[in-house]
Amino acid sequence: MAKKVLTICPYCGSGCQIYLFVENGEIIKAEPGPGRTNENELCLKGYYGWDFLKNPKRLTARLERPLLRYNRTDEFKEVSWEEAIGFAAKKLADIKAKYGPNAIMCTGSARGSGNEANYIMQKFVRAAIGTNNIDHCARVCHGSSVAGLAATLGSGAMSNSIPEIENTKCVLIFGYNPAESHPIVARRIIKAREKGAKVIVVDPRFTEQAKISDLWLALKNGTNMALVNALGNVLITEKLYNKKYVTNYTDGFEEYCKAIEKYTPEYVENITGIEAKTIRQAARIYAEAESATILWGMGVTQFTQAVDVVKGLSSLALLTGNLGRENVGVGPVRGQNNVQGACDHGALPALFPGYQSVEDETIRRKFELAWGVKLPAKPGYHLTEIPRLAKEGKVKAYYIFGEDLVQSDPDAAGVREALASMELVIVQDIFMNKTALHADVIFPATSWGEHEGVYSSADRRFQKFNKAIEPKGDVKPDWEIISLLSTALGYPMKYNNTEEIWEELRKLCPLYAGVTYKRLEEFGSILWPCPDENHPGTKYLYEGNKFATSSGKGLLFAAEYRPPQERPDEEYPLILCTVREIGHYSVRTMTGNCSALQTLSDEPGYIQINPKDAEKLDLADQELAWITSRRGKVIARILITERVNIGTVYMTYHWWIGACNELTIDALDPISKTPEFKYCAVKLELIADQVFAEDYVQQEYSNLKKKMFC
Amino acid sequence: MNNFVVADSEKCIGCRTCEIACVLAHSKDGSLSKLSAKTFCPRLKVVKAATLTTPVQCRHCENAPCVAACPKQALVQNDHSVQVVKGACVGCKACLAACPYGAIEIVIAGNSTPRRVEVIKCDLCRDREDGPACIKTCPTNALHKVYNLSFDRRINQRKR
Repeated sequence: MAKKVLTICPYCGSGCQIYLFVENGEIIKAEPGPGRTNENELCLKGYYGWDFLKNPKRLTARLERPLLRYNRTDEFKEVSWEEAIGFAAKKLADIKAKYGPNAIMCTGSARGSGNEANYIMQKFVRAAIGTNNIDHCARVCHGSSVAGLAATLGSGAMSNSIPEIENTKCVLIFGYNPAESHPIVARRIIKAREKGAKVIVVDPRFTEQAKISDLWLALKNGTNMALVNALGNVLITEKLYNKKYVTNYTDGFEEYCKAIEKYTPEYVENITGIEAKTIRQAARIYAEAESATILWGMGVTQFTQAVDVVKGLSSLALLTGNLGRENVGVGPVRGQNNVQGACDHGALPALFPGYQSVEDETIRRKFELAWGVKLPAKPGYHLTEIPRLAKEGKVKAYYIFGEDLVQSDPDAAGVREALASMELVIVQDIFMNKTALHADVIFPATSWGEHEGVYSSADRRFQKFNKAIEPKGDVKPDWEIISLLSTALGYPMKYNNTEEIWEELRKLCPLYAGVTYKRLEEFGSILWPCPDENHPGTKYLYEGNKFATSSGKGLLFAAEYRPPQERPDEEYPLILCTVREIGHYSVRTMTGNCSALQTLSDEPGYIQINPKDAEKLDLADQELAWITSRRGKVIARILITERVNIGTVYMTYHWWIGACNELTIDALDPISKTPEFKYCAVKLELIADQVFAEDYVQQEYSNLKKKMFC
Repeated sequence: MNNFVVADSEKCIGCRTCEIACVLAHSKDGSLSKLSAKTFCPRLKVVKAATLTTPVQCRHCENAPCVAACPKQALVQNDHSVQVVKGACVGCKACLAACPYGAIEIVIAGNSTPRRVEVIKCDLCRDREDGPACIKTCPTNALHKVYNLSFDRRINQRKR
């Protein structure tokens, strides 16, 4: 008889509950569980995304033993944990002694490792190394939402829970394609629409979500701020805003009105490419709905003007009073299963766990007392600044935990250069990856399915995930590896299990103080804030319209529109925008090793192009083509589709051969330091000899697999 | 009237979960590891046109052109559906040409001589206790089985 283990899906941030069926120590199938968000439904990644645990070596191999090389030109050798930890500890100590603690950078992990491991990592960075240099992939993702919402409303997370979407009367979906990135969120939107809600989609592409909408605003790429300002302008000039709400619960109304004055729908028509009357129609639908929810994704956050747009979107919610109650709100829907959790638990350069500032003396004292060591007050470096800081000689060691920066970050060549310049690179992961090619030492960790802990899904929902199978090889849980390294560095950390870690952290974080393993098992999930053990958790934030800002009011904000940094020109005439596809996930180490998901789509990945652009370049559907930017050149397969707009091409960022991040630019939002993945200039070239091109892809794929120990 | 599975394109997100579920439901042991792009042949296929995304599968036609076209009676009306008679197909492809939906495939099974051919089309998962696997797994409930056309609420609603 198969054993049935209830756990949480390791993919997107929806946080679906899932049953794993285990027989003879192997998973044999997955079935949906009774989670509040997924209600016994799963998407294809949930159903068919677990067989990477069998290490089938389809794309990369599992790391099963510590690997070390004393010289970067050498091959890796399998070593004992003692040798690997000893080497890393000595090197870190030397670098700290020579250059100071701020020359060391570390990452948290938004993926399978869990909240406890992130807590341990940031404790290691702050207490053992003595720096706040910790960040993670939220920086390249919803970093802009965290910064923007913290300023206007006081909390960077989704204001309302995912199940509430179903009962809203209007969903404004901005730069977000839930059908592709969060199928289980899309399911709620479809249900809302069946119950009569109006769905408005803002996207330059005719996405699957645009197909399932009542109004599609096909804006020109990179014009979000102009459109958001115009929506605000209509709310004000047509007196559609909620005067009483604005007076009682918001600040900055006069400045806001001044800032959006010139952004009439007619004025932004040329900038955005959307007819004025359509903008007016969208604003009216949103304002007139008795409840309305704004959801957004990377189409908002991955621009050099992103934080401003997030603030602008939250202002639309404030102006119409769509906050502080059920079925409304603002929703930056997080992409990775535990990216909310990594933020929640201090894997950020300015925040301790529980969103407590490292600059606040009282808070720092509290952590100093708990951890028994003096802590640094200065915020640390952002992940995306590391390539530049490495070039300036300011960062000398990089401890990368559960991330593949060469695949996920902009301008891959720049990332590789930075890694090559480091005196020490530590990679801790479950799979060999492109970043690990630059490592000195590799720590092999247990995977989702092989350990337990707590994840935070996108809607602040804590859920316990459980161990289903025993790991193979000489691997350890992430928190244990970090504790060993910390101990070797002279700051001893010793825990017997994740619950011990959870007990330590919840006592330091008022937001999570009432959440225990026992209560999580009893209730299935608890949404923070949950200040004490009698508290049921918080479905929606800002009850009574009390915002977590210093004044207690929501801040209205609008900024002048700024165009993206690298505009198309004669040499690079097309805009490249990077997107996602449903069957694969993030850097693809997991889904690239799943048979069903690989069967549906495989290397080198597609580049989507409008038929008019394809005709101009003489490109045929399914043929291979070169794509070049000022930073790199890759090969990908042409997908001709009327669904994409003329002048822009789209690539999904999962592919290792058609790797779009060889092309993207590291231009950053000035506040959140989130890169402009959604906009850079490229050119496409036909490859006359398609036989050569197909051979080239196969050759590259097999070379890559060899490097990944397959 | 025959039964059939139909999709609501207003709910289909194009995720292709149904395609995998279909292939696994018709495999010998339901094992994931045997799937490969070369042999992947679902009985329903998600089609993405300019403004429409929907799975397309056999409509189990009342006056089925495939049944009429087959010279070997490998396709028959049976149990309120169009079903394949195992081992009867010679691979002439007349049904492929006849089907107005492109919902039939013919594949060569294995490497045996003489060649063994199989007709691959929706069989409404008639050997499966839970009914059609595609319906069960669709995350947005975009698929449903029509038992009696005149009483199907969802289809009648769309007629209005």
